[in-house]
Amino acid sequence: MMRGTTGRNISGRNALPLGLLVLVLMPLLLMPIAAVFIFAFRGGPGAFLRALSSQDAQFAFRFSLLIAFATAAINAFVGTFAAYVLSKYRFPGKRSLTIMVNLPVAIPTVVIGTSLLLLWGPIGLLGQMLQPLGLQPMFSPVGVLLAHLVVTFPYMLGTIKPLLDELESTYEEAAYTIGASRWQTFFHIILPALRKGLFTGTLLTFAHSLGEFGATVLVSGNLRLRTQTAPLFIFAQFEAGNIETANAVAAALALLSFVLFFFLFRYTGERVI
Amino acid sequence: MNLYLATIKLIRVRRWTEKLNFDRRILARQMRTWFPSMFWILLFGYAVWPWMPWQARPPVTVTFYGFSILEESMNGTVFPAFQDTWREASGEHVEFISSFAGSGTVTNQLIMGVPAQLALLSLELDAQRLADKGLVSRESWESLPHGGIVNRTPMVILVRKGNPKNIRDFSDLARPGIRIVHPDPLTSGGAAWAILAEYGAGMRMHPDRPHQAGLETLKGIWRNVVAQAHSARAARMQFENGFGDALITYEQELLWDRMHGRLDFEIVYPHSTILTEHVLVVVRRNIQPDQRNIVNAFVDFLWSDRAQTLFTRTGFRSVNDRINESNPVFGQIADPFTVADLGGWEKAKREIVDHVWKEQVLKELGRGR
Amino acid sequence: MSIVLDRLTKLFGNHSVVDQVSLELANGEFFVLLGSSGSGKSTILRLIAGLLQPDEGQILLHGRNVTHLPPQERGAGFVFQNYSIFRHMNVAQNVEFGLKIRKISVEERARRREQLLDMVGLAGLDQRYADQLSGGQLQRVALARALAYEPNVLLLDEPFGALDSRIRTQLRRSLKEVQRRLKVTTILVTHDQEEAFELADRIGVIDRGRILETGRPEALYSRPRSLFVATFLGAGTILVGKAGSGQARFGSLSLPIPPESAHKDGERAQVLFRPEQVVISEEMPDSGIPVVGQGKIISRIFSGAFQRVRVKLPHLPETRQVSPRVPFGEEGLLVDATVPAETSLNRERVWVGLRAWHILEEPHLRMLLYVGKQEPEEAGACLGFARDLSGRINAQVTLLGVAENRESADELDRLFSKDELVQSFDQPDIQIRTGNATEHLIRMQQDGLYDLLVLDAGSCTNTMLMELLECCTTPLLVAREKRKELQHILICTAAGEPGKNDVRVGGRLARRLNASVTLLHITGNGDLSSVAREHLDRASATLRGLDISGAVRIRQAATPAEGIVAEAGEGKHDLIVVGGHGPRVRSLFKFDDVTFQVLNGVDRSVLVVPVEEE
Repeated sequence: MMRGTTGRNISGRNALPLGLLVLVLMPLLLMPIAAVFIFAFRGGPGAFLRALSSQDAQFAFRFSLLIAFATAAINAFVGTFAAYVLSKYRFPGKRSLTIMVNLPVAIPTVVIGTSLLLLWGPIGLLGQMLQPLGLQPMFSPVGVLLAHLVVTFPYMLGTIKPLLDELESTYEEAAYTIGASRWQTFFHIILPALRKGLFTGTLLTFAHSLGEFGATVLVSGNLRLRTQTAPLFIFAQFEAGNIETANAVAAALALLSFVLFFFLFRYTGERVI
Repeated sequence: MNLYLATIKLIRVRRWTEKLNFDRRILARQMRTWFPSMFWILLFGYAVWPWMPWQARPPVTVTFYGFSILEESMNGTVFPAFQDTWREASGEHVEFISSFAGSGTVTNQLIMGVPAQLALLSLELDAQRLADKGLVSRESWESLPHGGIVNRTPMVILVRKGNPKNIRDFSDLARPGIRIVHPDPLTSGGAAWAILAEYGAGMRMHPDRPHQAGLETLKGIWRNVVAQAHSARAARMQFENGFGDALITYEQELLWDRMHGRLDFEIVYPHSTILTEHVLVVVRRNIQPDQRNIVNAFVDFLWSDRAQTLFTRTGFRSVNDRINESNPVFGQIADPFTVADLGGWEKAKREIVDHVWKEQVLKELGRGR
Repeated sequence: MSIVLDRLTKLFGNHSVVDQVSLELANGEFFVLLGSSGSGKSTILRLIAGLLQPDEGQILLHGRNVTHLPPQERGAGFVFQNYSIFRHMNVAQNVEFGLKIRKISVEERARRREQLLDMVGLAGLDQRYADQLSGGQLQRVALARALAYEPNVLLLDEPFGALDSRIRTQLRRSLKEVQRRLKVTTILVTHDQEEAFELADRIGVIDRGRILETGRPEALYSRPRSLFVATFLGAGTILVGKAGSGQARFGSLSLPIPPESAHKDGERAQVLFRPEQVVISEEMPDSGIPVVGQGKIISRIFSGAFQRVRVKLPHLPETRQVSPRVPFGEEGLLVDATVPAETSLNRERVWVGLRAWHILEEPHLRMLLYVGKQEPEEAGACLGFARDLSGRINAQVTLLGVAENRESADELDRLFSKDELVQSFDQPDIQIRTGNATEHLIRMQQDGLYDLLVLDAGSCTNTMLMELLECCTTPLLVAREKRKELQHILICTAAGEPGKNDVRVGGRLARRLNASVTLLHITGNGDLSSVAREHLDRASATLRGLDISGAVRIRQAATPAEGIVAEAGEGKHDLIVVGGHGPRVRSLFKFDDVTFQVLNGVDRSVLVVPVEEE
């Protein structure tokens, strides 16, 4: 496919804004990231690999990924469902519900962590009732998953709902009259129309889950080899003064994020059919 | 016969390569979908690997919360040593799940209900907070050997290389022109210890008028505090970045760094300083019946010669002086004292930190909050 | 019969968008539902497809009752106005979707797809996606997709609405051809009469949820039964005159009434003549064709092969013109005609004759009557008044009875059905409701089904009147002196401009009643401003256009209401006509409102004419 060139070429006049942008980006974005990589390799590649291959780092990585996979998978379903309901059904209180499910974007993740703790924690409202049953969602992988689901929920919704809103209602009706059942319509007509949003939303959710810190630090209990995610591990190593280890893991995490965003741009930047 | 087979093989290979070259564009397009799919499959495989059913799961776990500076000695030496001992004794593998943070943070986490079975805190005061909240009884540490104290480390002074300001004792810190980096006693356990060290040193210098002397020392030092960091770790960071002439901190941290060749500063041992004491708390309510034996065994192990020696190797001083004597890395302190010499933590906190430091020193220096 | 609709009704809230629609379509018929937007035509289509559930009635497709089946099981092909082509599928996949759902083999699918795409003229485009196709092409894909699984019926909802006229013409042609070849029963919904004429085997004209008339396009165009259809389909002149001895008389013009639409003598008669049925000539036409008169050309519009000419003729006595509408304040007769473009009309004054014409069926006025709950004698008086009135203006009466609960409703029903007076009406329609009378009245008149609301003054409270004044869009007659015939009508123009509608409605009523009219004007100081004079002149002219001579009376009074009440009090008038002010004024004046003061101040019957919605 031919791609139209709508942008201008870099000429003398355009060099100034571009230069300014780079100048602003340098200290804000590029240099800090570069610093992480430089510090990570200060002890040589051997030290870098040693830091990464420690049992704790490996666990933190795997655990983070696992939680991210689970969060993305669950929120892909729940988020799509929520978007469908919020977009296609009319009911009283719809506006406030829409605002409510989008709230996690607006409130700090630490607050979400605290509220989860106050609800599900051993001294929380529901947690108190669960305690005698031997159920303890907080300070366990379940708690971390729960926090990540809450924090990343709006991302899925935010990418799917606009697509559904755009989809005229006759789109579904056309499928019905052709003979497709509700399920077939959803599967063959609605879902493919959401494909791009599903890719983007799932990737966003995955990436956010991978980097989530604020809520996780509260609900996980920061337990080594049990609930310590990669960002928590980085922070703990930093606190303990193991800057090299922290940077090594941070660099690896950053690298993974780059790959994720590479995919994100490929899916969204190009026509996905 | 052989030639025949070779020809057939060759033809097959050629066909295969022809197929490969059949259409590079199709191949490229397939690569474009293959690469991301493979990436995701591999990433997922990597993530779930340890949880696969064929991976042996550790049958017993002990959850241990500790204050920050313990991390290396526990994870690196004490836990592995106990794992070996336990395996020899019972053939079982025990897995330690641990978390390290500031002593106050750990205490708060315990109050919030983290499922810790053991907690090693930097202040007995934090243990008392747990007792106040009803989480544990005072006996849970007082009934242990040495009243629950697992190890010690003195508060010492860190100065720049060559000691350009010629600082020899706490009293030198009160000299005009000295700039001190100090952690904030309101948020840092280490800082509370530092205040007791400064005050106690003053007291012991002038036994005739102890409280007057203590107050003066404290006032003199705090007049020179130029930076107050929220934790001992942060204060250390500021000092390393070139801020100030002196830092009051744990000996253990400095020894640990020196063992790893990272210490670019000099340690000054004051004539008289406090030995900080770290208290183990056993949280009975979080111990399942099948864990009781192993937790008890580990608690006993912490005071064994083996564990105590391991602590000295990572810079802590043992509660057993016999073990300390054999270790040349520890500097000499002419007149060490403990919090018991100041009347115990409750009294020390009330009288020295709250009354003297907060209400007299800070007010007089115009930094009262 | 491939599609049968039996008394289909669909309510949105309290409002019926589809009202008792019955329709039968023969196999392979191409039926076009023609109506303006909001007439309920698309709703009927969606009801047939199963996208909406009817509140009453039945739908049969090929003898199968599908009323309660989901859309998937009805086998109806539906083409939407916005095409709704699945964007993630190419043309081939779109067309094959219905077949794939039905698990038809790949070969059969391909065969069918090729055949259809060929038929709709899209051969070779099967790999394209929606964003690579033009609007017309998308429409063709939608058609092919709807036809792919061989539906029982094909439903098209304004399929050409979003296309430009050249493509429309092309598409119409190919749609017609495809429909003929496949012989699939088709309903197409449109507001475009040209489209309807071109495509339909039969047209149904729909208005406010009711199908008014169905018929072949030529028949509907040249011989409509009702006034609405006559005006909705194409241009033309419609005159209202009187019937007498088999002739419809419009002043000097006299046209024979065909026996199939026989009128009683003295009854209203309406004639329709289309522009192409009008003969314009410079000389007096030969005898043999009826001559309307001699008039002046007031406009000429050139449109290709024809020119459209509008001629203004002098007013015909005892004739009212419905279409084209004569501007307020003018009298005279307007006639539209089309003449070949090459016709040269040099003289300003031309003769207008008729080549052909059509007498419409006599429509009844519809009157909603409410007598409330009161003494039988009082109610009886009002019923008698209403019967006389309905007889004289040739109105069909709906009698509303409102009861408090079910039992009293049954009681009321029994009472009405054995009441002699009620039974003396010409085919009375009795409706018994429970609940609040005001609400029922407002709701019933909302759909514009009634021309006149008649209330007994004794049965209305002030609040009820207030609410009706505020909400009614139908003229409201509050009856007071029930034993008197309405012979003298006073049309109040109050201080400022007389309501155009007051004059029109009052005048029409006077014409039907054969009553005399007085136009009343109230001034504060006794002087008549030039503006007021002009208004009065225009009102008089309009009345003359209705073939009524109106006397003008000027009266001095402090307030308009006071003047009107005083004039009415002199007792010469039987009916006072005042304008209503609609919902605007109540909030300002409440009970000070002129209309309301007049209603309360006079002892005569009052007709309140609501403001015209412009």
